[in-house]
Amino acid sequence: MKKIFLAVLAISTIALTSCSNDSKDDTTATGNGSLKLEFDNVYGAADLALNTEYTNSNGEKVKPNNVIYIISNVVLTKADGSTYTVPKSSSYFFVNETDEASTLITLPNIPAGDYTKVKFGIGVDQAQYDAGADGQGDLWTTAALPSLGMTWSWASGYKFVKFEGTVTSTTHTDAPYKVHTGKTGSIYNYAEATLDFPNNALVRTNITPQVHIMADVKKIIDGTTVINFEEGLDVMGGTKVQQIMANNVPTMFEAHHVHND
Amino acid sequence: MRKILFFLLLSVATQAAVKDTIAKYHFSRYAILDDDDDCDACGCSASGGSMGFASMLNTNFVGVRYLNQQYKSSDGLYSNSAWYTENFNTLQLWARIPVLKNIQVSVLVPYHFHSRDTKTGNQRLEGFGDVTVLAMYRVYQTHRDSTIVTHTLQLGGGIKAPTGKFNETNSGSLNPSFQAGTGSWDYLLASEYILRRKQFGLNTTLNYIMKYENERAYRFGNQFNYAATLFYLHEKNSFSMAPQIGLAGEVYASNFQHGQELVNTSGDILFSKIGVEMGKDKWSFGVNTMLPIRQNLAGGNVQSQYRLAVNLNYSL
Repeated sequence: MKKIFLAVLAISTIALTSCSNDSKDDTTATGNGSLKLEFDNVYGAADLALNTEYTNSNGEKVKPNNVIYIISNVVLTKADGSTYTVPKSSSYFFVNETDEASTLITLPNIPAGDYTKVKFGIGVDQAQYDAGADGQGDLWTTAALPSLGMTWSWASGYKFVKFEGTVTSTTHTDAPYKVHTGKTGSIYNYAEATLDFPNNALVRTNITPQVHIMADVKKIIDGTTVINFEEGLDVMGGTKVQQIMANNVPTMFEAHHVHND
Repeated sequence: MRKILFFLLLSVATQAAVKDTIAKYHFSRYAILDDDDDCDACGCSASGGSMGFASMLNTNFVGVRYLNQQYKSSDGLYSNSAWYTENFNTLQLWARIPVLKNIQVSVLVPYHFHSRDTKTGNQRLEGFGDVTVLAMYRVYQTHRDSTIVTHTLQLGGGIKAPTGKFNETNSGSLNPSFQAGTGSWDYLLASEYILRRKQFGLNTTLNYIMKYENERAYRFGNQFNYAATLFYLHEKNSFSMAPQIGLAGEVYASNFQHGQELVNTSGDILFSKIGVEMGKDKWSFGVNTMLPIRQNLAGGNVQSQYRLAVNLNYSL
């Protein structure tokens, strides 16, 4: 009997002593990996469902049926403050609510490291637009696809955010509304957002972190600036678009959590 | 290699117990069912009925136990997130075997068959869980004849082997404890204190499970369990019955992945519990149910509904 007890002790000891190799974060991670940005559209706190009615702070009830925005110029920041800029040629993404695959952006060839935040643009930056029609590569033609419809005429440029649906308000019942943002005359209206990750995204050759970003599309029309569709069903230019891009769009994104699988 | 040693030990211990004739107690009558630790709402159901060792007082037995636990869980991402029902079922071989005069070894071999609803349909998980071996040493015991009130204090420790499968993909958004095992060698410390006066008794158990990082760099949070159970022993001829009532609670630390703390994985829960155990000759049957009094598991994204345990034991 004693032998058994000793055996238990011995095994416990072996197990205890040999199993405490906690592998801490490898701060000298080498090689390249990938990182995924998941854009999860929500309306306020609710998971966005198209053709579902939501009530805004001004009492207007909207049923969104089309939500598309351009994410561009992604820059990742490491814990040590150094940054990695995704090459401009492969840093434009159309996030389309009706195309689930488009909401998950995979960024390849990211140097291994612990990343703490991401910066990106909403829309197409002015430098890109100023490259002229010839400098667009296939970006313009992609944006112009009927399924996206993210362009105006060349002179008017790209649409940055498209938010369409129907609205029920004092004088309207399920009336179609359109919010299209982009360049307004000489004002370019490109917006940027910087999101801190709640925990580090650990890019490794064998770990592809996925950053779950909540994109609150309610804020497009019901943020610091509130859009009243009673004043017009189409919001496609002028001061309102400038205010949406300056005040509302930069605050609609939040890095909710990071999976390091 | 460790796994092989472990199973060798397991079989040796079992055989030894069968042959052992020194300590044939027949105290299964005032056995107390205690399954408070079987779930690991935020990391412990993974360890499967890890700590049922505390259930039997001075009892040496082999038995089977069935545990059913129901949870509702949500991804917690949205105000309109769906709540899904999770059913954790465990069939457990359990034994408490005397190896020396004051030392008993408990062995728990769980087999899990869990199921849950998900957005994409029903998901099932079936397989052996983590095997736990625990040694308890009787530090102090009052002689029964000499006093009205008797005390028994036992202290012990053990190991939980990663015989159950850990699946990283299940550790994501929904209840991360939807696992057959933690995937790690975990260690536990335990104490049991029993106070008895005539037919009444109070059993108090405390235990602490230290969990370690598994091969997938995931670590379930350490877990503290406590329980106090009041029981009454009724005996007549070869028949005995012990109704019991008590409180049980669990406190979980956060889970870690790649050394990073994961949000909404810590938590605590307090249960009420009520049960009865009946014995006839060498056999005993027990049933026990636990209902949550208050809970905050996984940031509120996991809610325990109830736990139910049924067991059939044979005294050695």
